[in-house]
Amino acid sequence: MADLGRAALVVSLGLLVYALVGGSIAAVANRRRLAVSARNALFCAFGSTAIAATVLAVALVRHDFSFAYVAAHTNRTLSTPYALSAFWGGQEGSLLLWLLVLTGYGAFAVALNRTLLRDLTVWVVPVLAGIGTFFAFVLVAVASPFDTQTAPLDGAGLTPSLQNPYMVAHPPMLYLGYVGLAIPFAFAAGAMLSGRTDERWIVATRRWTLAAWMFLGFGQLLGAHWAYVEVGWGGYYAWDPVENAALMPWLAATAFLHSVMIQERKGMLKVWNMVLVALAFELSVFGTFLTRSGVVNSIHSFAKSPIGSWFLAFVVISSLFSLALILWRLPLLKARTKLESALSREAAFLYNNLLLVALCLTILWGVLFPILTQLVKGETRTIGRPYYDFFLRAFGLPLLLLMGIGPLIAWRKTSFRTLAKTLAWPGAVTIACGIALVAFGAGSSHPGLIAYTFSAFVLSTIVLELVRGTRATGSLVALVSRNRRRYGGYVVHAAIVLLAIGIAGSSAYSSSTTRKLSPGQSVTLSGYTLTLQDVVRRQVPNATETRAILGVKGRWNGTISSGDNQYVNPPEPSREVAVKTNWLRAEDLYVIADSVNLKAKTVYVKVLVKPLVNLIWVAGFVFVLGSLIALWPDAREQRRLVTRLAPARA
Amino acid sequence: MSTRSPARLIVALGVAAVLAVFLLYTAVAGHSTPTLTPSQLANHSGQLAIVGVVVAPLRGDSHSAAGLRFGLKNIDGKSGVVPVVYHGENPPPLFKVGRNVVVSGSYAHHRLAADNVVTKCPSKYTATKPS
Repeated sequence: MADLGRAALVVSLGLLVYALVGGSIAAVANRRRLAVSARNALFCAFGSTAIAATVLAVALVRHDFSFAYVAAHTNRTLSTPYALSAFWGGQEGSLLLWLLVLTGYGAFAVALNRTLLRDLTVWVVPVLAGIGTFFAFVLVAVASPFDTQTAPLDGAGLTPSLQNPYMVAHPPMLYLGYVGLAIPFAFAAGAMLSGRTDERWIVATRRWTLAAWMFLGFGQLLGAHWAYVEVGWGGYYAWDPVENAALMPWLAATAFLHSVMIQERKGMLKVWNMVLVALAFELSVFGTFLTRSGVVNSIHSFAKSPIGSWFLAFVVISSLFSLALILWRLPLLKARTKLESALSREAAFLYNNLLLVALCLTILWGVLFPILTQLVKGETRTIGRPYYDFFLRAFGLPLLLLMGIGPLIAWRKTSFRTLAKTLAWPGAVTIACGIALVAFGAGSSHPGLIAYTFSAFVLSTIVLELVRGTRATGSLVALVSRNRRRYGGYVVHAAIVLLAIGIAGSSAYSSSTTRKLSPGQSVTLSGYTLTLQDVVRRQVPNATETRAILGVKGRWNGTISSGDNQYVNPPEPSREVAVKTNWLRAEDLYVIADSVNLKAKTVYVKVLVKPLVNLIWVAGFVFVLGSLIALWPDAREQRRLVTRLAPARA
Repeated sequence: MSTRSPARLIVALGVAAVLAVFLLYTAVAGHSTPTLTPSQLANHSGQLAIVGVVVAPLRGDSHSAAGLRFGLKNIDGKSGVVPVVYHGENPPPLFKVGRNVVVSGSYAHHRLAADNVVTKCPSKYTATKPS
């Protein structure tokens, strides 16, 4: 079995090298049959990588511990879904998933566009094959998932915290996002290499970018929710370098998704879009480098890995390649039109882009700071949470405001008077909300108050747009189906508002206290009184559970239990928090019981009340809904595109 | 009247504004913390973080006045042991002897008075291979 996996990977590597070299020669020399052959090699590389992936999946399900990877990440007690999730639980499996998704996405994207964009796809094939060659090489030569050994009786197992449905879905979602960004990058590079730098590459990859962006965004929220319920520290995002590694390409892709609309409509920002698409892709590879190299001390990554230097080399070479391409094609990337006014929708998109990229680069600076200080000063210095929180407010709050203003400003130019008239109703709603919030005590946190009022402003502009549009078309469904991209975008904006409210509420207005309790003693916080009833220990299959049982009275009445589990196989502990969601008040009661002393019957109880935190998770579903609306095939749009691309085809 | 696009001006002003905010932050409020290994601690004191591996003995309770006491040495093992006294919430569940951690606090007289312990995130944890 392992031999089949190894052989399949070697075949993938060979096919990808052929697609890279043959495809490049075919594109330069305009050899059509060779180009078709290179394209078929890319398709076949997906097939052989799928065989390798199937071999690993079967080994995981069958608990075949002669595979070193299977023995290191699973054991016999694991159920099939969790055994399968070990596919992406380790380095080698994750890299195989990268290659599988890349070749699958690549084959599909090239197959879809091979007729309409033939002049571009002859270059897209070698670019995608080049990226694939790197991953196939690492899998064959540096980090193979098919190393074998004398099979032990049982494997090491999957750490208990990872045996969670969120952790089954979170990594593949991130990979679908990371790898998905390779498609617009390859088409952008193909456009520059072929000299066809019009808007066709953007049109061809819009849905790919949107899908990758959706997966990356939703994957991060899944990870945040997992951290919230499973890791048990009361938070959901720690600004850790590896967490930031997923956020940075998402921010760059967000900027790209907005700025391509300007290029499609006005023929502007061509260079900027090339830079953004390259930045998003490079950051996605850089994220994998950060996660796997151990170059930065992170709660996710301590050990140095042999693949780190390979990834660094790939990031450097592909960045130089992108930069060289952009510089080479600068004359072809001139704008068709000019920005006519600083007060126009185009300008609002530009401000939005600047803020998104500024936030992205600020986070990148924070991630790189330890490496740079080590290089310059010989001493590693790290930047903590206050730095990131400051810049999230400095750039995030104006972004939130722009999200409301942007859709209401006219294209080309507008006057202050017209803008003021347009914003009158949303402005009035915002002021009323601000006054109400201060009256209800939200003034205790200025950033929180600003985030809430800006959110009210954005929501009122979205409602205004929907009401106006529905009046014009007669039905909301008809309105959305006529322009799925625009109204899907509004739904995504609503999701971002929910996210902002959730983050502001759970960080600016949360409260917490820690108390040592004996049976009968109580702790009170924000209208909840928790009384320790008992401390118990019980055996369950594969674990010993220790729990503090607490009675709760006040805003919610009932009983909750929190403590820890000590697992037998693998012999690891896990913290078990109690989370009670009060939907009426839209807040969570979050209880962490630690240092449980069974003899003395004492426990340290940390109680947190987190207002509106659940809006963050609701935002995830609204975000996916909006993205799917924008992604959904649209026959009208398709007809427009065919008409638009027809002259280029001819 | 000039027909020059204001796009460049907007980008330039935007970049300048971002730089101004950034410089202001780093000048006024920016704090970075040295993150060192036990072997790099010579001539250092004050607030810092130490990256290392937990060494025995592991005694006490982080909630008590005496605190949780343990040692740290380089992950590669090539250093002396730095004594740590940690006060605060219980350390994360995966904290134990042999685990890689980042401990931050105040370092003085060759001892770290710690107020924060971070262990390796379980999402990348790989158990020891069974023999």
